Amino acid sequence: MFEVRIPQECWDDDSEGAISTWFFDTGDAVEKGDVICEVMNEKVATEIEAPESGTLTIRTLAEAAVRKGDVIAMIETA
Amino acid sequence: MQEKKRKLTIAKAMAEAISLEMRASDDVLVMGEDIGKMGGVFGNTLGLLESFGPERVRDTPISETGFIGTAVGMAAAGMRPIVELMFVDFFGVCMDSIYNLAAKQSYFSGGNVTCPMVLMTSVGGGYGDAGQHSQTLYATFGHLPGLKVVIPSTAYDAKGMMAAAIADPNPVIFMYHKALQGMGWLGTVQRSITHVPEARYTVPLDTAEVVRPGRDVTLVGLGHTVHVALDAAETLAANGIEAEVIDLRSIAPLDRRSILASVGRTGALISIDDDYHSYGVGAEIIATVAESGMAGLKAPPKRISYPDIPVPFAPEMEHAVLPNSEKLVRAAMTLLEEPAHV
Amino acid sequence: MLWMYEMMVASRHFEDLIKPAYFEGKQPVFNMAKGPLPGEMHLSDGQEPCAVGVCAHLKSTDTVTATHRPHHIAIAKGVNLNDMASEIFGRANGLSGGRGGHMHLFDPRVNFCCSGIIAQGMGPAVGAAMAAKLRGTGDVAVAFIGEGAANQGAFHEALNLAAVWKAPVVFVIEDNAYGISVSKRQATAVDGNAERAVAYGMPGHFVPDNDPDEVFGIAGDAILRARDGGGPSLIEIETVRLEGHFMGDAEGYRPEGEKTSLKEKDPVTRYRARLEQVGEASNRLDQLEHAARSQVAAAFDHARQSAPPKPEDAFTTVFA
Repeated sequence: MFEVRIPQECWDDDSEGAISTWFFDTGDAVEKGDVICEVMNEKVATEIEAPESGTLTIRTLAEAAVRKGDVIAMIETA
Repeated sequence: MQEKKRKLTIAKAMAEAISLEMRASDDVLVMGEDIGKMGGVFGNTLGLLESFGPERVRDTPISETGFIGTAVGMAAAGMRPIVELMFVDFFGVCMDSIYNLAAKQSYFSGGNVTCPMVLMTSVGGGYGDAGQHSQTLYATFGHLPGLKVVIPSTAYDAKGMMAAAIADPNPVIFMYHKALQGMGWLGTVQRSITHVPEARYTVPLDTAEVVRPGRDVTLVGLGHTVHVALDAAETLAANGIEAEVIDLRSIAPLDRRSILASVGRTGALISIDDDYHSYGVGAEIIATVAESGMAGLKAPPKRISYPDIPVPFAPEMEHAVLPNSEKLVRAAMTLLEEPAHV
Repeated sequence: MLWMYEMMVASRHFEDLIKPAYFEGKQPVFNMAKGPLPGEMHLSDGQEPCAVGVCAHLKSTDTVTATHRPHHIAIAKGVNLNDMASEIFGRANGLSGGRGGHMHLFDPRVNFCCSGIIAQGMGPAVGAAMAAKLRGTGDVAVAFIGEGAANQGAFHEALNLAAVWKAPVVFVIEDNAYGISVSKRQATAVDGNAERAVAYGMPGHFVPDNDPDEVFGIAGDAILRARDGGGPSLIEIETVRLEGHFMGDAEGYRPEGEKTSLKEKDPVTRYRARLEQVGEASNRLDQLEHAARSQVAAAFDHARQSAPPKPEDAFTTVFA
């Protein structure tokens, strides 16, 4: 089981961001490198890629606040 | 092998369609304000400059008459220009090149000179951008002969309709609604973000789609109001009313057949759009039904639209006048003489 | 000079108070529709010298038309601060009862208006000038535009018409080097728009380096010329846009380091330094700043405490 976290490189400070869009649903198959969601912090949008291939389970819904390092989804590898 | 599922926003779907068509033919190019380095104020040309270079992806000066007229000339020479009018509200400065040149090129030449140009333009308000940046103007463009005018409500349709528009030998006004676009700086109706196949494909530009079948009342919407109608349909279903929702997709040519077929099934019609009321989309849809002489309508048709006023800035005013699902549910229940639950 | 500094401080403070208000309700997800200031917001930080240098010569009966980036010009023209703030906050006691918002500010008491379509304020400025000429009032009109507008059809028509009719109008270009993401160099066929004036039979002046006193000098000449029946002029002022095109603009199109070096050119701090150099007392300037900022802050309080419009207000004033 792999955790998908908001990467530390996303933005500079400790402020909050939010997931603006999920590009997959819970239960979908994702491949390593797929852009699975977009995170917004102030004005900048960052795409988050799947770190591994497997089945996605979303933990944090769109528009919920997130901080760097937060777990936003899980990927179950086959 | 099953195709991998992946979702795109309308912005990304438009960019992908344009990219695929630009790869397929050197004659396809894109021009407009901020569409190059910035990838478009609305995100619909992101990545194109990197992929295709500045000769084919051109940031223009603020010269709409200039560059849209240029697009018309390129189209006459057989190229396939895609040009962006950043906000449909800006049409005032360049309308001649659209409605007198692009729209009439085929006619004036007896079909010998075509105008395979796509004009993509953002429409819609509801976020406080006031009177000169919030309009939709569907009827304004739909009214003028020689133009195809389309608006997708989902990313799947957006990619297919953009590909079809680029392939079309006629000028296509490709409107995209800001509330559905999926850029980072405005809220997006999540339902517009859909699975989009990676391959090239087209969606026809002249066919409305029944996006939700129902037997009690036909709700006709386009762009954002398709989603308003789908929201209303859910509430109506909870009240025992099954609404059929039609996504017009095309303002011109209008798919009158699909509208008549649906109303023939349900016997009731409400049209909902966010363009000005008088002489508008709703008027044309209702006229179509009235002229057909179909008998057995449960009630006179209704249209919900934007009132005949400039878009006000203050949200207390703007949101009160915008078409929304509450208004549509009330209208449907009144039309069907059900007691109003909302 | 002190008046100009006071106006610059006031308009900068206005923008400084807008910024946090704008971001209210727009975090953590930046949704432009939310908060007390929905919609777009185009701030004038850095462009203050253009407004004060020109408006210092204008009476309330002179007309000014401006653009989507109007605050500094409105303030320098004497638009009522309370009513302006109320309008920007969409309140019922705003300049247009909340109907117009920040891009469509109309104050007929001082003959100021602005709107959002590029270059379209130029024709009406010629009109105001012609009205003054036909009535013999001795008033003038000034149209403020950006350098991007100089590539729009209306620019060329307005200049030519103003010259043909010898309208008492001055066209002022605030050259902040960018039309959203597109640089002036990329979009303009000539090095400077002042060069274009000769094509329209009028004098053209370029003011480098965002200098309020230089603007004051050149604008004074042009406005006097217009008042004396000498006809129109074109002035292009090199200025800086310290913020993004609109609030929320990530400005990824600017080259690396450009923004930080711009901040060093802040015209408000530079002008204060100049005033001190010519002998203005520090504490006098502090007092002036304090007074200007308090007035602006009071306008914001006024706006915040004012009632919103009623939905039915949307339907009035469509027609007279």
